[in-house]
Amino acid sequence: MDRTELTELIIKLADTDGVSGCEDSIAEVCADIMKKYSNNVRIKNGNVLADFGTPSDKKPHVLIDAHLDRVGLIATSVTEDGFIKADCIGGLDRRLFPAQRVIIHSMSGNIRGVICTLPPHLKSGSTVMEKDQIYIDPMMDKDRARELFSPGDFISFDSPCTELNGGRISGAALDDRCGIAAIIKAVDDLGGNYDELPYTFTVMFSSQEELGERGACVGAFEVDPDISVAVDVSFALSKGENPSKCGEMAKGCMIGIAPSLSRRLSKGFISCAEKNDIPFQYEVMNGSTGTNADRFSVNRCGSEAVTLSIPLRYMHTPAEVIDVTDVESTAALITAFLREGE
Amino acid sequence: MDISRELLKTLLMELCEINGASGNEDKVREYILQKIGDSCECSVTPLGCIIARYKGRKPAANRLMISAHMDEVGLIITGINTDGTLNFNCVGGVDPDAVIGRQVVLENGMMGAVGSKAVHNMSEEERKTAPKFDGLYIDIGVNDKAEAEKILSPGDYAYFTCGYSDEYGYIRSKAIDDRAGCAIMLAMIMEKVPEYDCIFTFVTQEEIGLRGARTAAFAAEPEFALVLEATTAADIPLSEGDKRCCILGKGPVVSYMDRSTVYDRELFGMSKKAAEEKGISWQTKTLVAGGNDSGAIHISRGGVRTIAVSVPCRYLHTPCCVINEKDYFDSFALAIEMADRICGGNI
Repeated sequence: MDRTELTELIIKLADTDGVSGCEDSIAEVCADIMKKYSNNVRIKNGNVLADFGTPSDKKPHVLIDAHLDRVGLIATSVTEDGFIKADCIGGLDRRLFPAQRVIIHSMSGNIRGVICTLPPHLKSGSTVMEKDQIYIDPMMDKDRARELFSPGDFISFDSPCTELNGGRISGAALDDRCGIAAIIKAVDDLGGNYDELPYTFTVMFSSQEELGERGACVGAFEVDPDISVAVDVSFALSKGENPSKCGEMAKGCMIGIAPSLSRRLSKGFISCAEKNDIPFQYEVMNGSTGTNADRFSVNRCGSEAVTLSIPLRYMHTPAEVIDVTDVESTAALITAFLREGE
Repeated sequence: MDISRELLKTLLMELCEINGASGNEDKVREYILQKIGDSCECSVTPLGCIIARYKGRKPAANRLMISAHMDEVGLIITGINTDGTLNFNCVGGVDPDAVIGRQVVLENGMMGAVGSKAVHNMSEEERKTAPKFDGLYIDIGVNDKAEAEKILSPGDYAYFTCGYSDEYGYIRSKAIDDRAGCAIMLAMIMEKVPEYDCIFTFVTQEEIGLRGARTAAFAAEPEFALVLEATTAADIPLSEGDKRCCILGKGPVVSYMDRSTVYDRELFGMSKKAAEEKGISWQTKTLVAGGNDSGAIHISRGGVRTIAVSVPCRYLHTPCCVINEKDYFDSFALAIEMADRICGGNI
């Protein structure tokens, strides 16, 4: 899979629906892709699972995961005037809500909308919208709106991916669709012959990470791995961010080191990267990780877990930015690890 | 009438897709001049306004100028940082919260992202503080200043992405203020609607202080002016009663007064009468708010008797202006009626 194909894949994934709790369409897209590589692909409890290699007692079983869901909103009521009152799904920055384009995923299909705001002419100073002031304008007469929409309709940012200069992409759901793309590229680059690998493995694309890693919780129980790898995004340095909390764009995959992760596994990935000349950077955390790895490490009687993170700017905004080369190095690291072992 | 509606929609879409903020209206002007073709005698003023002299089927009893502004609000690059990000400010009244967290398109067609510190890393105080242009920048995907300098220079403009949609009788886009007025005037010219001779002016720099209109009115030297605009509507849940200003679906707004103008009393009465006689719904604003080119035009030279007909528009000066298409069609119909009555000497 070359860079153009990878870029197309990332954009296709990031431009697909799938707010936490409503991941059906992205799950279908991912399951279809995985069927090219695995004979055992299924969607179970919201998670996409794909098995590789003949099960064997002699080989450790690896879970490689990225999450399907994206942040968004949900309709809580429809007003008399046909506007949709909404609440957040996942951690969102309300400072950027005014006049954002959204898509309302109604029972009758996807419909465009705008987050209501007062124009500068009628505002006295700028304040941040309160939690109970989030309304969506579905841009239609009220009778039609009251017929089409109902509480429980999911809402996502309507911010299709766009390519920036120098192989960077900006879009709304790169968290964690670029992680999914990295795993798909890794599997593609393995090129079959899974029984020759030192591991058997399951690829999981999990639901509801943004609501507290719920998909990962049930998925890990199902897979029961010995080793778990959570492929997600992490903060890339940009203005205003603390450099000690961030990776850097285009400097490679961020390998997690944390008390809650397996030190042996982190070291294994680091030496694997060094041996294969794969660019990487450290991501040191001082407790849990805020990723699906937190669930994996305490699954059943416990599994060794590690995080691989793609540096991403402006997380959870409709204008997230990644560098495709970081997705490439993450994929290369997964491929090398599966081939060579830790 | 159906052909006009089709034309009105096509013109609006094509006009909104063009980028042209105040002082940078060239592409809008090119489009309009090309559409007018030889159906008017056109000249362009030093500030870039188009003065289009329209020949009707009859000479006019009164000298009327019909005017709309070509410029939209936008952004201007003020500097390049060492890390290759771009500092910018607004051109016209744009709130920083309508820019943060979305993509913008540069004058040269390249894309940028206006990001923000991740919400995860913000303090409670930061989350509650509205953004300012000082703290915002455009990320164009480069690593340093030298790379950025190869692509653009300070003074370049940046624009909202268009996001045009037209469904269920509502239109959403950037720049409807005031491409709606431009589109109505173009449709009048292209369909040769006005009975009488009149002057159409497509003006520049409204958003930074009614600057083009001032000069165009001097040049056109009218006795009467009809300004076609998009005006602010706040008929949304965050606003109640008269604070809603005007309401989508209730027809064109005919103003008696705004922040820039007290409109000609007789023309105001005539607009109401014209609308009612033609069965066109109309409304006034319930607030003295906003302003438009009338402010400059009505005090041009020795004074110009002025009236404005405006399409009510939600979320003005954001990437998502929203109008009701019936209001837009009705504004077109009312503008025609007003032009013919003023030019025909019914005043």
